[in-house]
Amino acid sequence: MTGLTPSSYICLSIMKSAEATAPPVPAPGRGWLVFKRRMEPVFFISPAFIVIAIILVYPLGYSLWLSFHEWTLRGFRQGVPFVGLQNYVDLFSNPDFLNSLRITASFVILAVGIEFFLGMGLALLLNHDLRGRHFMRAMVLLPMMCTNVVIGLTWRLLLNYEFGLVNYYLGVLGMEPIEWLSKPAMALPAVILVDVWNTTSFVALLLLAGLQALPEEPFEAARIDGASAWQSFVRITLPLLRQTILVVLLWRMIDTFRIFDVIYLLTAGGPARATETVSIYVYRYGFQSFNLGYASAASYIMILVMLVIAAAMARLMGRIEN
Amino acid sequence: MNRYRAWRLIKSILIYLAVILAVILSLAPILYLFITSFKPAELTFAIPPVWVFTPTLQNYRDVFAGGTFTKYFSNSFIVATTTTLIALVLGSFAGYGFARYPFRGNYALRLGSLLPQMLPPITIIVPLYVLFNLMNLIDTQWALIVSYLTFSIPLSIWMATGFFADVPVELEESAMIDGCSRLGAFFRISVPIAAPGLAATAILSFIYCWNEFLYAVILTGRDARTLPVTITSFMTNRAILWGRIAASGSLVLLPVLVFAIIAQRYLVRGLSRGAVKG
Repeated sequence: MTGLTPSSYICLSIMKSAEATAPPVPAPGRGWLVFKRRMEPVFFISPAFIVIAIILVYPLGYSLWLSFHEWTLRGFRQGVPFVGLQNYVDLFSNPDFLNSLRITASFVILAVGIEFFLGMGLALLLNHDLRGRHFMRAMVLLPMMCTNVVIGLTWRLLLNYEFGLVNYYLGVLGMEPIEWLSKPAMALPAVILVDVWNTTSFVALLLLAGLQALPEEPFEAARIDGASAWQSFVRITLPLLRQTILVVLLWRMIDTFRIFDVIYLLTAGGPARATETVSIYVYRYGFQSFNLGYASAASYIMILVMLVIAAAMARLMGRIEN
Repeated sequence: MNRYRAWRLIKSILIYLAVILAVILSLAPILYLFITSFKPAELTFAIPPVWVFTPTLQNYRDVFAGGTFTKYFSNSFIVATTTTLIALVLGSFAGYGFARYPFRGNYALRLGSLLPQMLPPITIIVPLYVLFNLMNLIDTQWALIVSYLTFSIPLSIWMATGFFADVPVELEESAMIDGCSRLGAFFRISVPIAAPGLAATAILSFIYCWNEFLYAVILTGRDARTLPVTITSFMTNRAILWGRIAASGSLVLLPVLVFAIIAQRYLVRGLSRGAVKG
């Protein structure tokens, strides 16, 4: 899942400071009045958390239990035997799983890296006082709003070897057509290309928000001292923007890490597993072979990786908040 | 001085060209999809591409043939609306609580509410699939609504917190001095003031549910299917029906793009107004 995910906007609101303001304090009371006031935040906040807990705690516990058992479509009516860590051992001795980890890692690093550089460039461009920049910003942001299924299929058509427009225009420029989706070596770059098209503008939007919040004074001082634009970018902008950059990078990592639908519709993980990310691997074992114990074990590896990134982010944001 | 001016002019022309290039690259694939949806079948794969042709509605007629598309359209709408309403109510209450009570652990708890949203969907689907199976909820709208709440609620909490924090406390105070209860002040003062922001939250949550594919493809079948899954059903074993995919894809995309532009304006305004920490 990339592009327009809820996290994109949560990330925006995280960066927009939304600190809790002090409540209006009524005259001090006694006994149960004090208790009542103490319970007010609980009254407001708990319903949402109770619903989330009901929806998530049991399923996640259940899949942890599943990951230590053998659950197959053929076998589960005879019982679900406990197999200990066998699923996890199998995972790490399975070359396909190791392959999917490798693919996911290269996908995350390359896609997020490229999006960051292009997004930074775009943010710097949009930070100028351009005529019609609100309109242009809105247009540039449209790709991330699009339905992922539609994106995947549109690009599948665009990247088609024989009748895709991308190869046609490469030909107009005098280049050889490329077997984007059918050649293992080109499939991952193709998937990255689509993800870059999809989310670069979002990275740019976040960085732009950070850029616009920077103080003016250091830049003026640098200009007076005769610093070039490049120097003030490297020496002032980047250091001041450091925490925004880190939040954006971590956030995009979590998002690209779980990518599913765009890849599923572009290549379905092929050719020859060249684009089989962990999500697609779990999908294959869970819902094509119905080996749910094994799929749950793989899920838990994913959750573990996600928690590591999330912990890094929580620490970072705790620092920002203080 | 003249050279300096000329250099500035060239620089701003280059900046405009680069931004315009970015706009074109962003929009071209979407426009291509819309154009393809109106192309007659024999021109869909024409190379070199044909841009001038008599538009036809045949692809749209094919999509609606059989009447199932309207049913799946309403499925998508019902699931997205119900999820959004539930999430908005729960999220507004929680967001208000977070914005108004600076209790210890406020921020930590808010960060914690993000976890369900960060979980890779595929990891939640495996157990949910088994559980919904036991509860006979597979292929019902409730299965989707329940799963979509896992990302809708965190989104609503976070956005609502920001919007309620923007409501001046003094307004509530004066209402409470005039005899309003806390809950009364919440409903009569804060909610109406935060309403545009809450509306933007609702629009975003709606779009996410509308676009969602992975839960829908696994948890639904013939009855509760939503539009993104319906589009993929035009990839049959024999052929990929690109004309129909383009037409149905355009139909799915159109409301999203309209809503997105509405919500975006509000969001960007909120961004430039509030202080951004960096």
